[in-house]
Formats: sequence, C-alpha cells, structure tokens
Amino acid sequence: MSEAGAPSVTSGAPLGLEGRNPPRLGKPSSKRRRRREAWPAQYRPTAAHKAPYARLLSRSSRAWMWGGVAVGLAFYVLFGIVPTAANLVVSFTNYSGFPGSPTSFVGFSNYHLLFTSQAPGLISSIEATVIFVVGVTLVQNAIGVALAHRLQRDTKTASVLRVLAFFPIVLGVTVVGIVWLLLFDPVSGPAEAVFGAFGIHSAFFGAGNVAMPLVIIVQVWQNLGFTMVVYIGALKTIPQSVYEAAALDGVSAWQRLRSITWPMMAPAVSVNVLLAVVGSLTTYNLIYILTDGAFGTNTLGMFAFNTAFGASADLGLGAAVTMALFVVAVGVAIPLAALLRSRERRLLV
Amino acid sequence: MQFSNALRMRRLATGILIALVFLVPIVYVIMISFESPAQFGAHPLQPPVPPSLGNFGSAWQQGDLGPEIVNTAIYAVAAAGISTGLSLLIAFPVARRLVRWSSSLYLWFVVGLALPVSYIPLFIEARDLGLYNNRIGYILLHVEPGLPLGVLLLTAFVSSIPQELDEAAWLDGVSYPRYILSFVAPLAWPSIVITFLYSLLFVWNDIIGPVVFLASPSLFPVARGVYSFYSSNESAYTLLAAAVMIVSAPVALLFVVSQKQLLRATMGLR
Repeated sequence: MSEAGAPSVTSGAPLGLEGRNPPRLGKPSSKRRRRREAWPAQYRPTAAHKAPYARLLSRSSRAWMWGGVAVGLAFYVLFGIVPTAANLVVSFTNYSGFPGSPTSFVGFSNYHLLFTSQAPGLISSIEATVIFVVGVTLVQNAIGVALAHRLQRDTKTASVLRVLAFFPIVLGVTVVGIVWLLLFDPVSGPAEAVFGAFGIHSAFFGAGNVAMPLVIIVQVWQNLGFTMVVYIGALKTIPQSVYEAAALDGVSAWQRLRSITWPMMAPAVSVNVLLAVVGSLTTYNLIYILTDGAFGTNTLGMFAFNTAFGASADLGLGAAVTMALFVVAVGVAIPLAALLRSRERRLLV
Repeated sequence: MQFSNALRMRRLATGILIALVFLVPIVYVIMISFESPAQFGAHPLQPPVPPSLGNFGSAWQQGDLGPEIVNTAIYAVAAAGISTGLSLLIAFPVARRLVRWSSSLYLWFVVGLALPVSYIPLFIEARDLGLYNNRIGYILLHVEPGLPLGVLLLTAFVSSIPQELDEAAWLDGVSYPRYILSFVAPLAWPSIVITFLYSLLFVWNDIIGPVVFLASPSLFPVARGVYSFYSSNESAYTLLAAAVMIVSAPVALLFVVSQKQLLRATMGLR
C-alpha cells in the first residue's frame, strides 16, 4: 500500500499519513542519507517528488511549489540562457544589426579574428582584467573585513559611519563616476591641488600609469558598503558566549581571531570573494564612465562592450568576445565556488 | 565597556579616517554645486560664500530629472522585489530537494552568476515579446540578473533552517505559500534583504539597458538621464554637480530614513 505512493494527499490526510511516513527519514543534514539507495524501498523518491516528506503537502500546495519554481526558471531561461545561446549563434555570423543587411554564417572567423588581428587588444585586455579583478577582490575584502570589524559594535558613532560607508552604493554608478571625475579633474580638481603642492602633476584618469589604480579605488569605494554589510552580518551571527568561553580560557586576541572569528566568517568570505571576482570580471559600467576603457583600463567586459557597440561596431565580433568572457567567468566561478565551499567545510567542521 | 586610552585614540583615529574617506568626495560635490561658474573658474576650492543657487535651476530645467527619479524607483523596487520572491521560491525546493534535478538546478544558477548580459539577443527578444519601450517590459527584463545570487544565498540559508520545522508546519496543514511567507521568509530575512539589495543595485546602476530597451526619454531611469546630462555638459562642472545633487537628494533622504531597518536587517543587529 505504502509504495503505491498514493499521491492524492489532501489537506485532511496528514493524520493518516503519520504511520507510514515517519518524517525523520529525509533528514538533509547528512548528505549520504539523502542518496536514494540509502532510503528504505517504500520511501525511495518517486517520479513525483524526491523527499518523501513532501507528501505532507496538499496537492494545491505542491502545485504552488512547482509553479514558483517554474516561473522562476522561465525567467532564468528566457532572459539568461536563451540570450546567451543566441549570443553564441551571433558570434558565428557577420550580423551587423542594420535592418535589411544580409547576415550569413562565417564559422569561426570571428574567433579567428579575435586571436589574430584583435590579439594585441585582447592580450592587453586580459592583462587589464587580471589586474582589475585581483586588485578589486583583494582590496575590497581586506578593507571590508577591517571596516566590518571596526563598525560592528552597536554604538552611535559606528552606526553613523556604517551609513556613510554604505552611501556610495546608494548614489549609483553614474553619480559615483562623475563625483570622482570631478575630484580628479587634472585642472580644477582638489586632487590636483593636493598632489600639486608636492610637485606631482598627473592627468589621473587620463594617465596610463595611474588610471587603473584609480579605477580600482573607485570601484572599491563604491562597493565597500555592500561587502562590509555582509561581513558584519557574519560577525553578528557568532554567539557572544563563544568569545566569553574563550576569554575564560585565557585565549589571546590573535588566537581568538584565528580560531573563532575567521572560521565562522567563512561563508561570508565565500559570498564576498565570489561576488567581487565575478562582478569585477564582467563589469564595465564604472569603467565606461571613468575612462571608456582607455589608458590601460580596457578590461574584457569593457572590451566586449566596445567591440559590439563602440566606434567600429561589430556585433558578431562583440558576441565572440562576450562568449570568451563567459567561458573565462564560468571557468573561474565554478572552481572558485567549489574551492570556497570546501574551505568553509574545512574551517567550520 | 572600559577602554584604555591608547585604544580609544586608535578607535577615534580610524573613525575619523573612515568618515573622511567617504565624506570628502561628497562634500566637495556639494560645495561646488553652490559655486557660480565664474567662481569655480577662478577659485574652485574656496567655499562659496554667498552660495549661488543658479546651478540647481538650470540643471533642473535642462535635465528631465524629476520623472527619471520616479521611473528608477518604480523599476528598481519592482524588479528587485519580483527577483527576490522568485529566488526564494526556487531556493526552498532546491535546498530541500523537493523537485527533481535539484543539484543540477543549483549548478545552473552558479553558472548564471557568470552570465554576461547579452544585449543584442535580449533586444530582439524584448522587441518580439512586446517588452520593448514600456515600463512592464523594462521591469521584467531586469528580474533575471538578481536570480543567481538570490538562489545561491537563499539555498544556503534555507539549508540552515531545520527540516523538522517544515514537517511540523505541514502536518498542521499549513499551506506551502503560507509556510514560505510566514515561516521561511522571516527566518531568512537577512539573506532576503541582501538579495533584494543586490538586484536593486543592478537596476539602479544599469546605464546600457535603458539605451537598448527604451526609446522614449520619458521612460528613462536616472542612471541614463544623468549620463546623457554628463555627455552634453561635460565641462560645466558646477552644473553637473548640481544635477548629481538633485538626483541623489531623494535617494539619500530615503536611505537615511530607512537605513536603520535596511542595514540592521542585513547585519543581524538588534
């Protein structure tokens, strides 16, 4: 009787269910338990659902659940997967975007171009991307942790400073970009006045040697608040009693940081590092405003955008660059996510 | 709490440093927005006394900033709200393995984190689905970017909620939507706020989207409006500063009013 599955569980049924469906079986805390082989025959996942305790839900509730997943997936497929797949197709054509102009498949020629005639641009773009991504990730997380540590307490000053640190995010990328362009204006900006007093003159965002560090600084300045908030959230979940127990045992500040705070922050580190890496890899909004990819700041995201929409717009080639960027981003994101996950497990268990 | 003097001095110093780093750029822009172009040309760094209000008048007239602020607010809140809601509706069954292919679904969303925005195909899709150049379309087009992070964060969070809670509630006949709404959502609130913020920021910072998906300037969000204002007034710094101030003031006000709830919810403060 029980293995028949009786899918017609209605809202009145839970009582009848109790006997044959002890809820403890699909306990998710242990991974091994979840594997189908580990379940007694009558509780094995059926086609309808994997976790047996889902039978506790009424039919309409299950419909709701499936409906929610379906709508979410529809958005993801329609506006995430399909455009990327279409982009892949476009990268094999000479599509120009002008209505009426003939479009034909050109095979790998866009990719070939990318690695031959576009190669100098591509190589310098890869260099810029590596500097930008590594710079942003390291600086943003290092300062983010320090800031979170300094501002985690529930004092008036700390809360005012938290609001200040979060403020650039509220302003948005355009405003932040303009603010920094004004600050570092080579003629009228206060930065020129300050550095000029020491006899240092620079075109700042228009100078090959300082543009990239400045862009990194602005990117970090804008997003620091978000990083900080995630870190403070993590710090706040560490129970005070753990620290009290450590204090009773005479644990030094360094040991406290090393063996309590740092491991317990592991999930937050994962989120922040992953977001900083993937975010800075694909971003171009801020760079577009600050330098438009000139002066050594032409990261891959910027490069893809400029090839597709810039002066010599080539949608096919642009699509090829975007696909290359996607491959790189996935190639970085998945191992990084796995690495951070295993790091969490190692530190937390 | 008792602090030693040295520690107190150090806290004071770092506090002042933090304040300066975030205040100086903003104060500078506020200052020059009150300078007349003539004064800015001669002594840009001298405080403007008496302050000139001319920049604000001309910036307000030249840019169409008022309606753009309203547009942005509508787009950002609606898109981020839908995105966060859907993330939770995907994350819960995936975390509990209630749907088939749960782990591959999860992996697909990790990949999604790295998806670059493909504007050209999206434009064609928008045009063919009737999402081009209208508010609803613009909102729907901005739901997807928030989903991957939302699913990732919320899946992790749901996993930390004991499954016994599901079982107890469902045995009592609590329906699924009600369970998500009044049990899971309050528990996952910090992650929900982060997800909401993250997708809100995507809309808020998107300057290419408006050009690709919108044609009528009356539908433009502020990020684009300010950018075109910047392109056409690139050397009128005081005017730019005033425009930046006009655009930022309502958002800043809204943020200062709501920051307590917003930041506290995210950071798990009391």
